[in-house]
Amino acid sequence: MKNKLSWFAVPYVVWMALMVVIPILIMVVYSFTTADFEGTLDNFAEMGSYASVFLRSFRLALIATLVCLLIGYPVSYWMAHEGPGFQRLAMALIMLPMWMNFLLRTYSWMSILENNGLLNQLFQAVGLLDALGVDYIPLIGTSGAVVLGMVYNYLPFMILPIYSVIVKLDHSLLEAARDLGADGQLVFRKIILPLSLPGVLSGVTMVFVPSVSTFAISRLLGGGTQMMLGDLIEQQFLGGAYDPHLGAAISMVMMVIVVVCMVVMNHFGEGEEQAVML
Amino acid sequence: MKKQNRLGSRLIIGLMFLFLYAPILLLIIFSFNAGDSSAVWKGFSLHWYGRLFQNRLIMESVYTTLLVSLLATAIATAAGTFAAIGLYSLGRKKRDALLTVNNIPMMNADIVTGVSLCLFFVAFFQGWGSFARWFNSIQSAIELPDRLVLGFGTLLLAHVAFNIPYVILNVAPKLRQMDRNLMDAAQDLGCTWMQAFWKVMLPEIKPGIVSGALIAFTMSIDDFIISYFTAGSASSTLAMTIYGMTKKRVTPEVNAVSTILFLSVLVLLVLSNLKEVRQEARERLGTARKSSALDRARMKLAEPQFKWVRRGSAGVLACAFLASVGFLSYATGSRPVVNVCSWGEYIDEDLITLFEERTGIRVNYQTAESNEALYSLLKSGGADYDVVVPSDYMIGRLIAEDMLEPLDYSQIPNFDFIDDRFKNLSYDPENLYTVPYTWGTLGIIYNTATVEEEITSWSALYDDKYAGNVLLINNSRDAIGEALLYLGCSVNTTDPKEIRQAYELVADANRRGVFQGRVMDEVFQKMEGGNAAIATYYAGDYLSMVDNQADGVDLAFVIPEEGSNWFVDAMCMLKDAPHQREAHMWINFIASTEANLANMDYIWYASPNREALNQYPAYYEELYGEELDPEVYEIMAAPPETLERCEAYMNLPAETLNLYKSLWTQLGVS
Repeated sequence: MKNKLSWFAVPYVVWMALMVVIPILIMVVYSFTTADFEGTLDNFAEMGSYASVFLRSFRLALIATLVCLLIGYPVSYWMAHEGPGFQRLAMALIMLPMWMNFLLRTYSWMSILENNGLLNQLFQAVGLLDALGVDYIPLIGTSGAVVLGMVYNYLPFMILPIYSVIVKLDHSLLEAARDLGADGQLVFRKIILPLSLPGVLSGVTMVFVPSVSTFAISRLLGGGTQMMLGDLIEQQFLGGAYDPHLGAAISMVMMVIVVVCMVVMNHFGEGEEQAVML
Repeated sequence: MKKQNRLGSRLIIGLMFLFLYAPILLLIIFSFNAGDSSAVWKGFSLHWYGRLFQNRLIMESVYTTLLVSLLATAIATAAGTFAAIGLYSLGRKKRDALLTVNNIPMMNADIVTGVSLCLFFVAFFQGWGSFARWFNSIQSAIELPDRLVLGFGTLLLAHVAFNIPYVILNVAPKLRQMDRNLMDAAQDLGCTWMQAFWKVMLPEIKPGIVSGALIAFTMSIDDFIISYFTAGSASSTLAMTIYGMTKKRVTPEVNAVSTILFLSVLVLLVLSNLKEVRQEARERLGTARKSSALDRARMKLAEPQFKWVRRGSAGVLACAFLASVGFLSYATGSRPVVNVCSWGEYIDEDLITLFEERTGIRVNYQTAESNEALYSLLKSGGADYDVVVPSDYMIGRLIAEDMLEPLDYSQIPNFDFIDDRFKNLSYDPENLYTVPYTWGTLGIIYNTATVEEEITSWSALYDDKYAGNVLLINNSRDAIGEALLYLGCSVNTTDPKEIRQAYELVADANRRGVFQGRVMDEVFQKMEGGNAAIATYYAGDYLSMVDNQADGVDLAFVIPEEGSNWFVDAMCMLKDAPHQREAHMWINFIASTEANLANMDYIWYASPNREALNQYPAYYEELYGEELDPEVYEIMAAPPETLERCEAYMNLPAETLNLYKSLWTQLGVS
């Protein structure tokens, strides 16, 4: 049986080589060549001038990830302690927005944050604008709007893995700890927190990676002024500045940085089960 | 846990859901808005739902989205399940190595996956093209297509590629839990290998397969970035369409389509939850509850003798699905097509329908954001256009780089109506490649309700007085051109010092926070809604903004005293365009007086067609029963004395273009 079944893996290996490995190799080739495919390191040298974009992307993504964690962890924790009906409903409600595409969710924020948008209308109505003596409070086109967009879109990616780890915690462990005299705080710190770490790591990855590389959110909510790595890359391929070689180089550097971050982070959770998905 | 604690935690959970759902709720509420704003309520109406079903662009992209998600889920689920089974019968070392590779697409940022797949497809197409040409040249029995482009096929492949890892990850744990001896036992007891697989293994891992499929479908539906890089120009998912629309005017049709999507998912979810809840309740109550007629029928069907019914109906459903897919692709594929790429809000869409009705040719109408973006699109191999409508300087560049096909003017009799002023211009001196589409001027648009003084100079763009209220035009040529004009230089200067000086002017204003954003067609909603005070855009678009301006907004247009740019946008055919006959028919149709009048009326750009330009005031009067304001006509079709103050862009040498490009990329950085 063993030999027969292992043949099932062959088409998959071919597929992975074709659709995952080779495309990345092509990208690597692009990043080390000029437009005429002569070897060069210029693409990487040029990147120095984009250091601020790298910094901004990582800063905003980090903030968004932290906010997601601060909201997501307690919410998942409390949700895991509710009854099964509540849990199922809550899970469904968290997944539901994902079925209407993230661009629609981002778009819904545009009309809220505009200078004449719903929030500013609300501020006007409660007299906040007059009290401050301004026509509007700038919301759209700021880095805050971009972070908000990231948190809004990626919060479910933080909650789902943390929740699924906490909900599967072995309750006898908690009871044993209590029996041995640990109070609630100690139980949380010594048992729940370490055991839920894989979920946290997985959630952090799933929020940080899309945040750092987004271009739609920064474009829609940042108004093009909050340029991020994703925008920079998109510009080199389908946007105003056509230079796929530079774009490939930026993508590669971003990929490497992200992978290094992940490896370092996963080091903390070593020995634990591999990061859990959803 | 203490009771009051739980109350507090529930409150916070509730607040989080409020945060998650408030925007969606607003989206839904404004889909019923009678007005066309998504921020100002004008009364209840179902108007936008009616409009939605007439909007071909949105409906087609909904169809593409559903089709690609369903197909990708089906393929990825089957392939992923088999791959997972294969992986679990390999040795541990090999398996772990492969699982690491499996994780790559999930760990990678979407944009990296998208970009690398795009590069891969394009490289493959190039290789295939040379192979097909060689193959076709050595034999004539089979003709291989030598021109492949990004489209539905690549979109589907990309979705399958990023879905398979999720399926594997969900099936793998179930395989790990399964007792390996079960399969052997089944076979020992006389099952064939196939039977053992279907009866023993599959039921064991079924929950994993189901959740894998669900996640794959969710990821497919939710994806935007990977689709964006792999779908090319020919097919567009709903997300891509909406991304395109957010650049122009977003109409509440988008709200309507979101509402429908949201509600249908909600209904599905409620139904599946109800089923689960009922099942649980039944288990709890034992057999206390009488089974309903439906349940009885279902149980009956589950009996072995009805196997053929189940198999048969599944087969029929599958066939019906395949047939409808096949039919739709046939229906859209067999008709002659012309692929057109133009700018947003740049055609009277009735003309497309009219052309289709008269000729039976389907028009695949796409838009690009700017000349530079169009160039990227053409270069990256993502585009499958026949006709494009670039501006003068970009045409010069396309001709210089041998990217255009000469036109056969005998097939374009309407070219005779084009005014001589717009023939043989510098970008196409012998007029071999182009038929002018529109012409106009660039100028400053400002809201007189918030800007009290009269603006006469480009300096207003860089003035701290208007900080946070100025919109910078998002293409290097115009943005730097305006600064050059302000500095008294030619817009076609190749002097790096002058260009750098102009760039510094823009970059400095950017650092000081003068610009609210960098926009192209986003300018419409920003200016119309009074969300910004000053912008630069094209004369025709100004008139269209005035038409749509909100209450309390009063827009004005000025060509600054330092002079400005005047431009011609012209239709051209791309090198080796696959539908050349249809392309010529389209160009000829659009060059006609009738089409030019309709376009002039709809997009407010001046026509290069002599008759249309002269007849327009009369046409307007007949249509609206009132005289056309001469001032409006003057803004639309700038008189010679205004044009004298304006300079046309010319194509620049490569090193100047490179300078523009690197400066422009840096602007976002500063």
